[in-house]
Amino acid sequence: MLEVEHLEVAHGDAVAVWDVSLSVRPRDLVTVVGPNGAGKTTLINAIAGLQPIRSGTVRLDGGDLASVPAHELCRHGIALVPEGRRLFPAMTVEENLEIGCYAPPARRLRGQSLERVYATFPILRERRRQLAGSLSGGQQQMVAIGRALMACPRLLLLDEPSLGLAPQIVDQVFAVVAGIHADGVAVLLVEQNVVQAFAIAARGYVLEQGRVVAEGAPSQLAQDARIREAYLGQQ
Amino acid sequence: MIASRLPPALPLVVAGVALALVPALKLPAFYETFLYLVLFWVSLATSWNILSGYAGYFSFGHAAFFGAGVYTTATLTTAVDVPFLWTLPAAGLVAALLGSGIAAVVFRVRGVRGELFGLLTLAVTFVLSTIALNTKIDGGPGVFLAAVPIPTLFGAPATTLYHLALAVALLSAFAALAIYRSRWGMGLFAIRDDEDVAEVLGVPTYRYKLVAFALSCFIAGLIGGIHAMFVTYVTVAETFSVGLTVDAIMMAALGGTRFWYGPVLGAAIVTALTQSLTGGESAILNRALIGGILIVVIVFLPDGVAGGLGRRGRRAAVSPVETATPLAVELPRAPATWQAAAPLLACTDVKKAFRGLQALAGVTLEVRAGEILGLIGPNGSGKSTLINVVSGYYQTDGGRIALDGRDIARVRAHRIAGLGLARTYQIPRSFRRLSVVDNVALAAMFGGGGHGRERGRRLARSWLAFAGLEAKADALPDELNLLERKFLDLARALASEPRLVLLDEVLSGLTPAQMTDALQLVRRIRDRGTTVVFVEHIMRAVLDLADRVVVLSYGQVIAEGLPRQVMRDPEVVRAYLGKAYA
Amino acid sequence: MPSPTCRPASGCLSSPHENRALPSLNLIGQSLLAGLFTGGLYALLGLGLSLTWGLLRVINLANFALAFLGAYLTYQLATAFRLDPILTLVVIVPGFFVVGIGLELGFLRFKINELTSLIVTFGLTVILESLIQWIWTADFRRLEWPYTRVSLRIGTLFVGLTGLLAFGAAALLTLGTWAWLRWSYLGKAARASAQDGPMAGAFGVNRRRLALLLAGLSAAYAAVAGLFIALNHTLAPSQIYSWIGVVFAAVIIGRLGNALGLLAASVFIAASEALTMAVTAPGWAPLVSFTLLIVILLLRPEL
Repeated sequence: MLEVEHLEVAHGDAVAVWDVSLSVRPRDLVTVVGPNGAGKTTLINAIAGLQPIRSGTVRLDGGDLASVPAHELCRHGIALVPEGRRLFPAMTVEENLEIGCYAPPARRLRGQSLERVYATFPILRERRRQLAGSLSGGQQQMVAIGRALMACPRLLLLDEPSLGLAPQIVDQVFAVVAGIHADGVAVLLVEQNVVQAFAIAARGYVLEQGRVVAEGAPSQLAQDARIREAYLGQQ
Repeated sequence: MIASRLPPALPLVVAGVALALVPALKLPAFYETFLYLVLFWVSLATSWNILSGYAGYFSFGHAAFFGAGVYTTATLTTAVDVPFLWTLPAAGLVAALLGSGIAAVVFRVRGVRGELFGLLTLAVTFVLSTIALNTKIDGGPGVFLAAVPIPTLFGAPATTLYHLALAVALLSAFAALAIYRSRWGMGLFAIRDDEDVAEVLGVPTYRYKLVAFALSCFIAGLIGGIHAMFVTYVTVAETFSVGLTVDAIMMAALGGTRFWYGPVLGAAIVTALTQSLTGGESAILNRALIGGILIVVIVFLPDGVAGGLGRRGRRAAVSPVETATPLAVELPRAPATWQAAAPLLACTDVKKAFRGLQALAGVTLEVRAGEILGLIGPNGSGKSTLINVVSGYYQTDGGRIALDGRDIARVRAHRIAGLGLARTYQIPRSFRRLSVVDNVALAAMFGGGGHGRERGRRLARSWLAFAGLEAKADALPDELNLLERKFLDLARALASEPRLVLLDEVLSGLTPAQMTDALQLVRRIRDRGTTVVFVEHIMRAVLDLADRVVVLSYGQVIAEGLPRQVMRDPEVVRAYLGKAYA
Repeated sequence: MPSPTCRPASGCLSSPHENRALPSLNLIGQSLLAGLFTGGLYALLGLGLSLTWGLLRVINLANFALAFLGAYLTYQLATAFRLDPILTLVVIVPGFFVVGIGLELGFLRFKINELTSLIVTFGLTVILESLIQWIWTADFRRLEWPYTRVSLRIGTLFVGLTGLLAFGAAALLTLGTWAWLRWSYLGKAARASAQDGPMAGAFGVNRRRLALLLAGLSAAYAAVAGLFIALNHTLAPSQIYSWIGVVFAAVIIGRLGNALGLLAASVFIAASEALTMAVTAPGWAPLVSFTLLIVILLLRPEL
């Protein structure tokens, strides 16, 4: 459903993503791994329309997304869990979730979606009147994922959901992502944490310094020396 | 630029002498009044600009300090019978004391910048006006000074006032010029562009702002004292007037707040416009016109008239003379602190938390003199926080940080810079409105070297040559590409002649070829005797460059040692790739 | 330009001469009531300012000049066509809504930030002031209408009808705006956009349209403020400036973008001003609000 071809993205004059091609099929869980600074966030932001594209195409169900303004992307069924969560800190948990279903199609399903998010993250129901900025890191990550789920996406973009979280919480986050995927949502997961990302993904890409250096089934990729090299340098 | 060929004080002296002789021409009184008003506004706009233009702290309370001067003179001459001339120093001092008192409180609050500083000073105006109105200072009806004798120096009393205004206007212009060309002025400009970076480079920001504010108020008070006598009848409404402040701001903005002569130009232009369109309906039209000019200038000429002129000048004189200056200056070597026994930097159990997130959970590490230490760890492991804490940008919550044996955990950032520590930023943070060479010269002036402005500039060119940026010395940072901006950051850090330099992800975003250049540069830095700590994610580079690495994870050191050994450490592999990998 | 102390808003109901004796309960009650009504006007004037500053990061000084333009238009329509002043809003409010949108389009086009917005809108204020003075001259104007002099008697207190109306309108608009921002989707989107614009955009918020709507609303509020200035006060072009300081104080003390906080701060400031006037001399009134403003800025500078 998502096809990225020869994508090139730059911050000003610094090119962060070079000639990247990848695809996500419906109900797929694809992961992009790579060390910090490899361009993963730039890639996912470009797909989500937060970052202008220099060249190449991003297509959703065959339609080019270049002409779609950022605020209409979510109507096409894309939702983003951004790096660093980027909640609206001075709004309550429930208000944050409601922004997730701002677009009219999702808005009609508000009650139902809210129930689903609260069922997934019971703690958020308890905290729903609390300001998002006052939550712990793990709870904030839950709100960020919940907010994206409220948009009833067909494709969920996740940018380093494990960042800065304690190990037990990371396990919980990965379990939730696997669950979302099991419910039939296609997921593009950008991660630094290779082991856990590969454990739930059907396919993986390795990004290094803005380029895809390897792709394939996680079980094969895990053996690939290039991953170790990308993260830990030449041994 | 013209300014660099002629001594810029010369035109000022000539203009001063010429203006002083004007009354001798016996022109109609109208001209003398007009010139008085020009000088009055030159003084107000220029003094406002010394703090607000140079350092970027927009004061909307200049009328308060002007008013303090007005009422000092009014009170002393009428209530205590002090001779007029003697009240003037008092008028300046009262305003300056008031200003520094306020500044001493306000500048301690980090958040009061930009428009909040403006509102705060605005509120000060209202508070002072209320006090003046309701106490004996004014009492409500205003103060008459018509009976106060004005000494006659050369001719009529009005001429005396004219000469006094001329003296204050010249004083303010000379002060603005002197500051513009001093290290103090350089520091103020840096504060305007990026106060935090300025502090880390060694600019004593608090003191500089305080003194600039005091001087600005002093001049405003001085001209206030004179103006009290000029209008002979002072009222609170006319004195503590927001309109007066805004007129001064507008003149400075119109002329160009980045230039010492900008407010002078602006004051002359606006006063001439105002005076040439007086009376009846055109007075209304005239005010609307000024409003329109203000909008157009802010929108289309952000650097004012002087900026417009200056830009043309800069294009015309892309000075071959200056760029061709040979590298006559020997670059200072870092002082050798080669006692291998004592570490150059020692962190012991350093802690830092943000809103419950423990970014540094007790970091203990040592940096040995002369080494290149790689500081690595997964995203969010606390590397940048550690750099921010060591350089003094954040205060530690606990633990000890010793630079060459001296505890710096509670020392202010600009003093740490003076002790020989410099850093770069993940995203380069240059001073946007200083030229490339001045960005670097600033560090030479305020860092460990503490050079004068001229020597700082010469050294800066050499450092730029060292970093391969000599061709861009006169450009503005915005005209550089990312690699060049990173190298500028680096040259700036080096120019402060640090014993220890902290590099925060210098390589990220570079192409492989650029990276090779950068790696070489880092090696040359070490070869010159500077110890290097670098944070990096590109492991190839870390293995290539580092003598030793320290690995952080969840705010703690989980491994240290030789690069290749450390990278095989199972715990490091786990931190990077997730648990149970390989 | 007059200082804030000659603002006519407050002095009208308390005795102007210094009265050092302990004021009577009646005087205190009457002052508090006056404070309540004046606070209503502060809130009406501050509402647009608070919304554009808190949610759009534009500090719109021209809001005050717009309010006075509205006041003069009300005066003109009421005197020339014998139109009921309140009915003039039917024309003025939509007109101002469009003006607000036009202004915001300009701010967006030239990427005006907070500091430059302050200077640019000051320029606009000066132009509008000149326009008003050109059309209506600098003379004082007073709108006379059957109900401008009506006052009701409650116990021993007198209540001016127009003052009461002003407070009612202020309460209605601030509460309405507060509720709208708090509970409607558009309101939530507005708050979300102010905190992280691109993220709000990623979830479908059309930020440009929302900004134009908010700017239009703010200008429309200025029109309403103008009506009540015309009903309660004598008009002169230079009066524009006398409101700026105290309304800024109310906006900041009430917290930017917080309509309910604005109403509370406005009433608090106006009531403490009125009390100060009753207890000491009328001239001391501004000291309360501005000292409070300074203290709040120093203690909680993050807005």
